[in-house]
This record gives sequence, structure tokens and C-alpha cells, in this order.
Amino acid sequence: MKVTIHIWDLPLRLFHWLLAVAVAAAYITAKIGGSLIDWHGRIGIFILGLLVFRILWGFVGSTHARFLTFFPTLPRLVAYLRGRWQGIGHNPLGALSVFALLAVLAAQVGTGLFANDDIAFVGPLFNFVDKSVSDRLTGLHNTIFDLLVAFIVLHVVAIVFYRWVKKTNLVVPMLTGKKQVPKALAGSITVSPARGFGAIGLILSLIISCTVVWGVTGGIAYLHPAESYQQTAQADPGF
Amino acid sequence: MNRKIALTLLLTASATSAIAGPIEEQIRFRQSAYSFAAWNVAKIKSQVVDHPETFNKDAVAAAANAIAAVANSGLGALYGEGTDKGVGWKQTRLKPEFFQKKAEVTVAANTFNEAANELAKVAATGDVNAIKVQFGKVGESCKGCHDLTRIKE
Repeated sequence: MKVTIHIWDLPLRLFHWLLAVAVAAAYITAKIGGSLIDWHGRIGIFILGLLVFRILWGFVGSTHARFLTFFPTLPRLVAYLRGRWQGIGHNPLGALSVFALLAVLAAQVGTGLFANDDIAFVGPLFNFVDKSVSDRLTGLHNTIFDLLVAFIVLHVVAIVFYRWVKKTNLVVPMLTGKKQVPKALAGSITVSPARGFGAIGLILSLIISCTVVWGVTGGIAYLHPAESYQQTAQADPGF
Repeated sequence: MNRKIALTLLLTASATSAIAGPIEEQIRFRQSAYSFAAWNVAKIKSQVVDHPETFNKDAVAAAANAIAAVANSGLGALYGEGTDKGVGWKQTRLKPEFFQKKAEVTVAANTFNEAANELAKVAATGDVNAIKVQFGKVGESCKGCHDLTRIKE
């Protein structure tokens, strides 16, 4: 007997799929370049907003979205590797992957904010560092991208592995939010349906995410203007 | 004996400077050319894409002409054999494969020239939207060459 229980809340699922689409779009726009590089920048800022939201959601989201619920502690990892871990949501190994992906994406967005393409694009915080620093961060942005691809490949391979070897479909629950679990397991502490996210937590998370986005796109420059050589065409030099 | 050594030293020194000088000069000149172009690209970006309300037809046309002038200046002459290694204003990032890919490089370089010349033409009309489109094409042509010839940061 199996029962269907709710594990992934809607904001978490939206975060996941928006992130997947945004990362793909960021890759394509960077690859093509030209005018699309500006879209790469906008998408990057959108990803920043998503990441800030996910971090906050790790504290105020529903049960299986919370970092403490699935934090990959050593005892949990050992139990999982010995086949003794029971639960739904992120398993301890998957949790490592979640934190790794979030960290790599944060580093990618963070370096991108200061990056330049030596053509016609600079990140929104470019003017706050020296060009040489920006160049180095751009180099890191290129390197971290390879790391990101590696983790995404691992992520997808793991999903395929669970589907074909362990006969567990991970994609459908991420779409519907619902997962089928054996009735015997349902109701135990680790296999409890998601609960506990409130409107206040959601609204606050959204407000803070939007504030961070506003901060990097205009807020910091407004509060603390940085010199920009791009403005040099606006003054009439007289010669 | 001493004179022989002195002569050898002198010849070695002059030979070294004869090679090092031009190579580093070539790198320095081309780095300068692209820096100057970058300044003009940034001005167009600012007035056409980021803050179109500041658009100044003459300033943008002058910037576009400057980019075209750089493109038409015969930059290829600054890519002599051996210039994949050396320090101009800073270490060059030219890929060593540059010299084996001359045909591809020529195509990429000509794409830039054509795009830059077209931008100068369009800029003269003062049509902001048309300038924006052509400006994007110039950016693509820059990237085409960078991807082909430049070591990533």
C-alpha cells in the first residue's frame, strides 16, 4: 500500500524550475553574445534573486525545504551509505549536491556582478573594483562555469540513476509536489508531509530577495556612486 | 680575445633587442588600439543602449568613426610571428594557435571590419534603433575573434 504525501511546496518548485530555465538561458545568451550579453546580465541578476530567496526559504519554507531538515551531517551520510537512512525529501547525498550547487551558483553570480567581457558589457558592480580585479573575477567566472556544468551533469545523472536503477522518479514530485511512499513509512518522523510555511515568511523572503536585486542593479550605485569611464561621452570636452 | 667577447656580447644584445623590441611594440600597439576602441564602444553602449535619453548624435558618430578607424588601420600587421608571447602593457593573451589559423582569423577580422564600417555608416544617420542593432553585430564580431584567438582570463 502506498500513500501520496505532499513534500515540495510550490515556492520551492517554482524556484527549482525557474532556476533551471534561467541557468540554461544564461548559458545560451553568453554563448551567442552581441546584444544578448545584456540579457545574460539580467538573467544573472534574476538568478541572484532566486538564490537569495532559496537561502531564506531554507529557514522559513516548509519542512523539506529547510536546511536543518536535510543538512547532510556525518551520521546521516553514514546511515545513508549503509542503506539505513529512511526519509523523503533530499537524501543526505542529494543534500550535499544541493549545497554544492547553491554554493557554486552563488560564486558564479557573485563573480559575474563584477565581471566584464572586454567588449561592451560590464556587470552591475564593475565600477566598484579595478579593471584588473574585474578581469580576474571574469576568469573565475569562466572557471566556475566548468564546475557548475560538472555539478549539473552529476545532478542529471543522479536523477537518471534513481529512475532506472533505484526505480524512483524524482522529476514528477518536483513538478507536482507530491510523492508516493509506502504506507508503513508514512507518519514516522522523517517521513512527514511538508508543513509549516506561512504567508509572512513568503512575503518577507520575496521582499528581501527583491531588495537585494534592487541593491545591485541600482541601489548601491545610487547610495554610493562610482566613477565610470562610460559616462565620458556626455561631457563636451571642447576639443 | 677580450674584443671578441665584447663583440659577441654587443651582437647578442643588439640581436635580442632587435627581436624583443618589435614584438613587444606590436603587442603594446595592438593592446592600445583595442583599449581605444573599447572606450568608444563604451560611449556608444552608454548613449544608445543603457541611457538612450543621453543620446548625442555627433558623439556617437565620432565614436563609431573611431572604432572603424581602428578596424581599418591594418591591425593584422601587429600580429607578427612570435607575438603570442610577450609583454606589452601587460602579458599578451594571444593563443599560439593563432598562427595556424590564419584563414579563420582573416574571416573573423574581416567580419569585424565590415561590422565596424557599417556601424559608422548607420551612426551617421542618427537612427538610435538601427545603431543599437548594428552595435550588437559589432559586439558579436568582437566575440568571434576573441573566442578564436584569445586565451580566456
